[in-house]
Amino acid sequence: MLWGKTARYAIAFFLIISLNFAIPRAMPGDTLTNLMGEDVHLSEDAMLELKAKVGVDQPIHIQFLNYWRDLFHLDLGYSYHLHAPVSSLIRERIKWTMLLVAPSIIMGAFVGTLLGALAGWRRKEAKSRLQTTGFLLIYCTPPYFLSMLALYFLGFELGWFPLKGFYQSGTIGDIAHHLFLPVLIMTLFSASRNYMIMRGSVIQERQMLYASYARAKGLSSDQILFRHIFKNAALPIITLVALDFGFIFSGALFIEIVFSMHGMGNLIYDSLLCRDYPVLQGTFAVITIMVILANLLADWTYGLVDPRVRWQR
Amino acid sequence: MAEVIRALRSAEEKIRARWSLLGPLIFSSFILAALLADLISPYDPWKRFNPYQMPGWEHLLGTNDMGHDILSELIFGSRVSLAVGFSAAILSATLGTAVGLFAGYFRGMADEVLMGITDIFLMIPQIPLIIVLAAFLRPSFWLMALLMGLLWWTALARIVRSRTLQVREMGFVAGAKAIGFSDNHVIFSDVLPNTLYVIAPKFMLTVASAMIAEASISFLGLSDPSMKSWGTMISYAFSRGGFINGMWWWYLPPGLCITVFVLSLVMMAGILEERDIEPVKVD
Repeated sequence: MLWGKTARYAIAFFLIISLNFAIPRAMPGDTLTNLMGEDVHLSEDAMLELKAKVGVDQPIHIQFLNYWRDLFHLDLGYSYHLHAPVSSLIRERIKWTMLLVAPSIIMGAFVGTLLGALAGWRRKEAKSRLQTTGFLLIYCTPPYFLSMLALYFLGFELGWFPLKGFYQSGTIGDIAHHLFLPVLIMTLFSASRNYMIMRGSVIQERQMLYASYARAKGLSSDQILFRHIFKNAALPIITLVALDFGFIFSGALFIEIVFSMHGMGNLIYDSLLCRDYPVLQGTFAVITIMVILANLLADWTYGLVDPRVRWQR
Repeated sequence: MAEVIRALRSAEEKIRARWSLLGPLIFSSFILAALLADLISPYDPWKRFNPYQMPGWEHLLGTNDMGHDILSELIFGSRVSLAVGFSAAILSATLGTAVGLFAGYFRGMADEVLMGITDIFLMIPQIPLIIVLAAFLRPSFWLMALLMGLLWWTALARIVRSRTLQVREMGFVAGAKAIGFSDNHVIFSDVLPNTLYVIAPKFMLTVASAMIAEASISFLGLSDPSMKSWGTMISYAFSRGGFINGMWWWYLPPGLCITVFVLSLVMMAGILEERDIEPVKVD
């Protein structure tokens, strides 16, 4: 079961990364330009030399094998625009993005499932209705627009938070001050998605017979929710958080742009402006790898938490 | 006392019924505004006035850096935003329904292969892929809709499949098969109508996420500059200084339009979804 899934992830990895190989070669325009980026201007000789170096004059299957060999050597190509290897560019930026994404996903999962479960359990109460409306509004707003609103009101008008970047002086307190608003928005954004799922899932679970049985047994309302229903309703969340990872991560890229943070999102934004294709492709490959790893991790965790899956192995 | 409680109950039900009308009401007024854009829009969205005007009687929502009237941009922009959302959702709903129906109905090899493909598509980071492809191609809203449609059918395929697995075991399907109807006939006239109610809410959610994605991708400047959508409006407000200079009338309306319209879709989807889990009650 678990190995079958892992095999599927391997196939997905192979196909998506191969797609990444195919894109610049299949797209209209000169392949060399597609591989190097739009604003690279070179002499005729340098062009030929580069052609040999990039390997476009070789047969396609050799290029394909070289592409995979490079990938396993963590070589994602060279940005002629920024004059640096793509992998080191990404490595420099990704830690900042992870600083934004990792706490947000974890907090978003906890806040979303907990509040969502309570809201589904007591959905008739005014408080949980109000809360649901709030999360619904966040759910329906593009995350970058939410960031613009927060930045304008809390940063600009009230001056509570710095307007841009990850740090100024570089102390931990300073970084935390810069990170607070983007992390808050990211957390709300990811919590809103988990909240909706969890609320719906608890509303469904509460109709199950075991819930009635627990009530007949004399458990209090909270006991039923946290001892019985929560576990059953929360399990699928592990998988869903992982499936959502790509989406949340993309959301972070946009939030970074609004807050002018020096992470992957701005790397993509900048390389879009000058059509720096190697960087775009490198980031796509890295994001793909992270999405697949997140799902693999979720499946393994699921196996640890849910005995039914554990025994199927 | 019982009278009072009954009266209160029916009052509450009435309020709930009114609330549930809110979604369709917002939805249809936006659709109407998009259809009647030529009639209700005060100006041509490309006509130039004095730039950077605050909202006032001349221009209800002010003007932007090019001097375009923002209310008119908003009304005409709804056409592009809605068209992208709906065409992406129609394409993905068609694909997802087809995959789900065939996988669930035929099971076996077909199911394995189709669900395997679905699992692979689920792993694709969709927005980054659209960004990469759009960077290589000439920016166009139709391309954006096409890519979203081709990438977003997976969730629906899974839902339709599991519903199909239930429906195919029901009496009337066995009956139709026993009479000798072809598989195609059974799928389209017996199974499909019974999956429509799981498709409808998911369809609306797909329109919603396609519109949010359109706004995000346009935000990166990857949209056709000769057309205006809500997303491009926010994008220009951000990249041409409207945001930094606090011109809220420039970026706030398109953002709020996206939120409110998406909200109406989600509300309608919620009402459709809740209909089939409502009846049983524990407490």
